[in-house]
This record gives sequence, structure tokens and C-alpha cells, in this order.
Amino acid sequence: MIYKVSYVVQGGEYPGGIKNEEVYPQPGAHVKIGPMTFEIVEVHEIIPPRDDFQFLHATVKPVTEDDRKSKKKSQKVT
Amino acid sequence: MDAIKVKVMRRVELFRGLTEQQLHSLAEICYEEHFHTGAALFEQNEVGDKMYIVRDGQVEVRVRDQDGTSYAAVYLGAGQVVGEMALVDAGRRSATVVAVDDDTVVYSIPHHDFTQLCQSDNAIGYVMMRNLAQDLSFKLRHRDFDPSES
Repeated sequence: MIYKVSYVVQGGEYPGGIKNEEVYPQPGAHVKIGPMTFEIVEVHEIIPPRDDFQFLHATVKPVTEDDRKSKKKSQKVT
Repeated sequence: MDAIKVKVMRRVELFRGLTEQQLHSLAEICYEEHFHTGAALFEQNEVGDKMYIVRDGQVEVRVRDQDGTSYAAVYLGAGQVVGEMALVDAGRRSATVVAVDDDTVVYSIPHHDFTQLCQSDNAIGYVMMRNLAQDLSFKLRHRDFDPSES
């Protein structure tokens, strides 16, 4: 399955993006949109799948330095 | 080389529904191009003579409005089509598109070659035009999405 994802940034001040993903985008995962990195907040299906393509909206928020540190920390723990 | 292109094309919605043979015909008119960060694929108001499919990296679609203010409208990554309006209406470019990532790789399809191919194989023309319409629809849905209503 190929996931065609429309990434929309919370607040609407930063342009979102569209890209194909090989894996289903999961809340909490990070994604690069343009030069910036964002965290996925939630994911919805926009329209029914067609053949091997699934069409999704993902709402994202900017990743802060604190987020990065806590993510690194949790990765070390697990 | 065409085998690699066909493999990539199978993962692009624009080519969804085409047979292996049709994909090979299209691969013959797809040209690989490389861009560094900040390099323009095309500029707003230029006459458009080809469309692009992003293979690797990302591009920024930048619009300059009537008062001269320029803003990034959307970022497009792997598998996305850009500049497709040139194939639909042969009009001028509605935005400037620049590479975001170093070594952004795209496939370009010249308008003239595409039209010729569609005329020689109407089935390719039908499928591609249907997929282009669906891609434009998806972009409109992306632009109009309001996270507060989800």
C-alpha cells in the first residue's frame, strides 16, 4: 500500500505538504515538511482507497527542542 | 534505465491503472533531472512546456501575489506531480517551484511528447487525464482542510 498523505500544520501559518509514504503515518512520529520537522498529531482517511493507494490527512505540530530531547531520552530508556 | 523508471512510476498515483507496456511507453518520454537546494524547476508566469514528478527530495511551490508578496503555498515530496496545469491548459506557470533538498530528483514529461503519446494511445490519455483530475482534487482538499473541523 502507498499512503498519499496531506500534512496540515496546526495553526495554519506554515504551509503543509503532500508526499507518498511507504508506511502508515503514526501519531507521535516525526516528518520533514520543507526545511522543518513536525510531529504527527492525528491521521484521518480523506477518501476511500483506490487500488494500492490510500489517501490521508495528517495534522502535525512543530517539533520543539524539548520534544527532541524527550524523544531521545525515551529512546534510550526503551 | 527504463526498468528503474517504471518501478518508480508504479508508486506514483499519476500512473495508476496503466499497463506495464504503457508504463514503458511513458518511461521513454520521462527525463530525469537533478536540482540542488534553492534551484528553480520553473518560474511563475513562464510558459509551461512540461510537468514534473518528484522522485526524491521535496520541492516548494512559491506563489507571488498581485502586490508582489511571495509566499510558500505547499511542499511536495516523493510521488507528487507539479506543473501539471501546463499539460492541461498550456498556460503560464501559476507558481515558482524550487528544490528544497539537495539532489532533489524529478522526472519531467514534455507537453509535446505527452500529447503525441496520448494521441497514439487514447487509453493512456484517458487514464492520465483521470489521474491528473484526481490529483488536482486531492490538492484542493489539502488546501481547504481545516484541522479544527476534524
